Amino acid sequence: MRIKKPGGTGVVSVNMTPMIDMVFNLLIFFILTSQFAKLEIEEVVLPPSLTAVSKDYTQFRNVVINIVSPDSPHIVVFGQTLTLDELTEVLKERKADVKSTETMNVILRADAEIPYEEVARAMLATGRAQIQGWWIQTEIVDPDKLAKEGQK
Amino acid sequence: MRVFRPKEPPKMQPPMTPMIDCTFNLLIFFILTPSFSMTEGYLTTNLPTTSGPVAGKKQIDVQRIKIELLDEGPKGERVSIVLNDNQNLGDNFDLLRDALKKLRDQGLPANHPVLLSPTMACRHKYVVKGFDQAVYAGFSEIHFAVPYQ
Repeated sequence: MRIKKPGGTGVVSVNMTPMIDMVFNLLIFFILTSQFAKLEIEEVVLPPSLTAVSKDYTQFRNVVINIVSPDSPHIVVFGQTLTLDELTEVLKERKADVKSTETMNVILRADAEIPYEEVARAMLATGRAQIQGWWIQTEIVDPDKLAKEGQK
Repeated sequence: MRVFRPKEPPKMQPPMTPMIDCTFNLLIFFILTPSFSMTEGYLTTNLPTTSGPVAGKKQIDVQRIKIELLDEGPKGERVSIVLNDNQNLGDNFDLLRDALKKLRDQGLPANHPVLLSPTMACRHKYVVKGFDQAVYAGFSEIHFAVPYQ
């Protein structure tokens, strides 16, 4: 009788090359997207809100208006400080790039201590650019946590 | 005659393990960091555009709920709330929420317009708080008073 000898040693090696390719691609994607997000936003203390909701803002064409430093408030868009007229022009240009089927919103990131006057100026510029969508960015606060802090 | 064959040079393989470790750590970091922004959210509304009313379009005159937010203190660090020109609620946003809820319970629909009218020196956090109370009470059509210049 003929006896078959086992052919291999039993060691299975994993093909690492496609896995490393994929990991590097993912790494490059996350590095680049996080950089783009940082270009639009400035460091501000957002006001707390109980009813604000998370939204997938990537579904829309948005412009982020930052209103920073409560002591000398100024409007910053894409890292540039703008006057009211300049802001209106920037918003009009962005609006012109948007297709009729797309929705465009302005996202307001204003410091909690900013006077309403600055926010109203940004609203005026937005209205002049014929943009209606107005999103106020806030920090989402858990009502239970807020109640506990109030009791302390 | 004996011919010497040149030996193949030994294959050089850099150590992959630390590189893969490092890459995975970076990947996990970049995947996790955007999730911090989940603590931020949006209050959404529509602004009126500065173009005039469309000719021939019927104007609907609805009595709006008016919330005035008046700045108090030398730098507007406090606030005073007035509802519908006659109810002074001090700086108590809970009273505002209760009053708005009462209006809803009396039969006002969710899409009944609410106008937030802060003074120019009123802090943004109070405006958001006023907006919050109106949403909390069940109103969905909240607008801002913007001065025309």
